Amino acid sequence: MAITGHLIEFSLAEIFQFLEQGHKTGLLTVFEQPEPTTPKNQVHYIWFNQGRIVAAANRSDHHGLISIISHRGWLGDHAASRFAQQCGTKVPLGLYLKSQGILNAEQIKLLFYTQVMRRVCALFTLLDGWFHFDSKVILPMDEMTGLSAPATEVTLAGLRVLKDWSALESKLPDPLSTIVSVVEGKPHLHLNSTEWQIWEYTNGNETLLSIAKQLQKPIRQIQQIVFRLSVVGLIEDVPMVLSPVPDSTSKKAAAMGSDAIAPSSDNPIPPNAADNQASAPNQMSHSFLNNLMGFLKNKS
Amino acid sequence: MRLVVTGPVSAGKSTFIRSVSEIEVVDTDRRATDEAMLLKHKTTVAFDFGRLQFSPNMALHLYGTPGQSRFDFMWDILIHQAHAYILLVAAHRPQEFRYARRILTFMRRRSQAPVLIGLTHTDQPDPWDAENILIALGYLTDQHPPVIAVNPTQPESVAQSVMALIQQYCESQASVTQPSMR
Repeated sequence: MAITGHLIEFSLAEIFQFLEQGHKTGLLTVFEQPEPTTPKNQVHYIWFNQGRIVAAANRSDHHGLISIISHRGWLGDHAASRFAQQCGTKVPLGLYLKSQGILNAEQIKLLFYTQVMRRVCALFTLLDGWFHFDSKVILPMDEMTGLSAPATEVTLAGLRVLKDWSALESKLPDPLSTIVSVVEGKPHLHLNSTEWQIWEYTNGNETLLSIAKQLQKPIRQIQQIVFRLSVVGLIEDVPMVLSPVPDSTSKKAAAMGSDAIAPSSDNPIPPNAADNQASAPNQMSHSFLNNLMGFLKNKS
Repeated sequence: MRLVVTGPVSAGKSTFIRSVSEIEVVDTDRRATDEAMLLKHKTTVAFDFGRLQFSPNMALHLYGTPGQSRFDFMWDILIHQAHAYILLVAAHRPQEFRYARRILTFMRRRSQAPVLIGLTHTDQPDPWDAENILIALGYLTDQHPPVIAVNPTQPESVAQSVMALIQQYCESQASVTQPSMR
């Protein structure tokens, strides 16, 4: 299934999170304009392998990596193209050139940084655009260095340097919400000091406003950091709840009686809801469930 | 029995409840815009209520959570009373997946009630398939709630999804009451 949409609705950060968590392989095409009629020089191609970014280019002729190598003066255009043909469909061009002793490990790293990190991070500045993910595309070995980066690592880097957040304004968490960790143990990504400080609050007990006050940072900065930690799959923002998780053995629950008839349509308040002293609901009887299922069967 | 219908704005929650309720659905969310009502019923506004009375002394109650984040506090009130809940997600609006995920994270922290994912608007252009929506909701393994396509405008489709949710409830109760095999 092809996945398409507008960046203003489903941001690049969210796309990357989806592609990484879904271990997707294929080609993400990003158009700088909201429609796919965008001029060719404003189209970007990012290849994914099992959720990791393996290559990126702003041209579709598979000469992106060759042109970077050539631009750096490490190989002539013709020679690089010849090697690209030799590397075939199984070995990434970067690795092939390394195996031939033409490039060393540091040069490959530099190539990957230029080709992927710098280029993809720049895409986070797009205010809108159109995207399309095609999972049927074969990975182009002549565009690949052999290195890869988790999509969320690129997101983290891209959002750290993002200055204009207007496109993501509507996605920023509510200042009155709180944060919880969604990973076991410590984060697997390298966090900076402020991100670590915020990570320490992932117990769901403080609002973002309170965190901002305690850290003496602007609330906007806290919201942006929470957003980026959220889209890289480390935390989630959730509404702040003042009451603790109710005790299911509460005496009040026992006194609630049957669930069969609860609120009337005049007063549709769940029992105990008004004073927020909620308790685990009573277990339903087999006869109730059987009657209900029989009734619904007739309606379906 | 109380079921909660939750999900982002325009996922079809109110329509879902209207389709199966035999009383006029109490839509307190609209009243919430009235300042006087807010003052008088501060914690009781902002959810939908429907009822299905299937015998003289037995009824199913359906509560719809508010989609707007300004009423997030209602989630907690409603979920603690729920025997089970269904999360409705519009399959063609990926921009809402994040909010749906937020709801799920919250509900799972506050309740162990069984959940069903109901995909709505699957007949609209460019809907996401169930597998990808589950990923977007944060379900990254085979361990995920059942997913069902539901058309909130069709009472029979809603009835089927409510049956699936009750089935989930029955299974969860069975697993709780099953004695240890040791």
